[in-house]
Amino acid sequence: MNTPEDPVDALLREQNTYVDDGGFTARVVKSLPRRRRAWLRPALLLGAVAIGSVLAILWLPWGDLPTPDASVLRSLNSQVLMPWVLVILVTASLTWGAISALERGD
Amino acid sequence: MRNAGTGSRNSRQPRNINVSFTDADLIARVLLHEDHNAFGELVRRHQSPVRAFLTRMTRGDSHLADDLAQETFLKAWQKLYTFRGTSRFSTWLFGIAFNEFRGAARQRKELALEDMAESPPELEEPSGAAGSNLRLDLTEALKLLNSNERAAVVLCCQNGLSHEEAAQVLDCPLGTVKTNVLRGKEKLKRRLSL
Repeated sequence: MNTPEDPVDALLREQNTYVDDGGFTARVVKSLPRRRRAWLRPALLLGAVAIGSVLAILWLPWGDLPTPDASVLRSLNSQVLMPWVLVILVTASLTWGAISALERGD
Repeated sequence: MRNAGTGSRNSRQPRNINVSFTDADLIARVLLHEDHNAFGELVRRHQSPVRAFLTRMTRGDSHLADDLAQETFLKAWQKLYTFRGTSRFSTWLFGIAFNEFRGAARQRKELALEDMAESPPELEEPSGAAGSNLRLDLTEALKLLNSNERAAVVLCCQNGLSHEEAAQVLDCPLGTVKTNVLRGKEKLKRRLSL
């Protein structure tokens, strides 16, 4: 047996009428702000890559890099390997930053 | 009553969006491509319940309600990435809308005044007229409820939210929502002599 519906519930539901759009959606869409991250993130990344590149050119020991032959690699001499590790890490970081920035750019 | 997710088509805004897209599809398009048309479709689908809710909450001030509704959808646009899909999109929107209302009411000191009032305004006897007058009576009777009771009644009884969903929207315990719904309905019954 069905229980009778609460009269307040019935009245409230009956009076839940549709509100005509009346241009509301158009106003909202027109006022949507640009998302900052669309340009901010790539700009920041490119800026960081540019600064990092300048610092790398100035500070990395480009002229003192030992020749990377097999005997050098086998020696595991930190004084020989460290400059190369540093160069590879910095170059990889800058490359990753540049690719990420360009991927996001619209 | 029209379902929040299946509103009628509007030829003006937005264009080129298939109505067969679910809310989740549209949200994905907004997040991936910042698609204004997809967001416009979400607004078109949900504007009616949100604006009606805010009109009730602002005691019939439709201009203020529309301003708050616009703020609600702008917040939704900015914070859409925080929507995890664990609740219905409409429930999430009601939560933003209620926060917007609360912020506006706080600025106008309305909530503070309500909290200070120990008892609700004296309930007048209904006019006795039936039919079309009942609609006006209900509108007036809803204005006599405090904002928490009004929100709970409108969300649960008019928009079909469960008590759990309403508790999520109103950011309060489940028991409080149930109490507010019962109290609100009792006041409405007395006011309307139902």
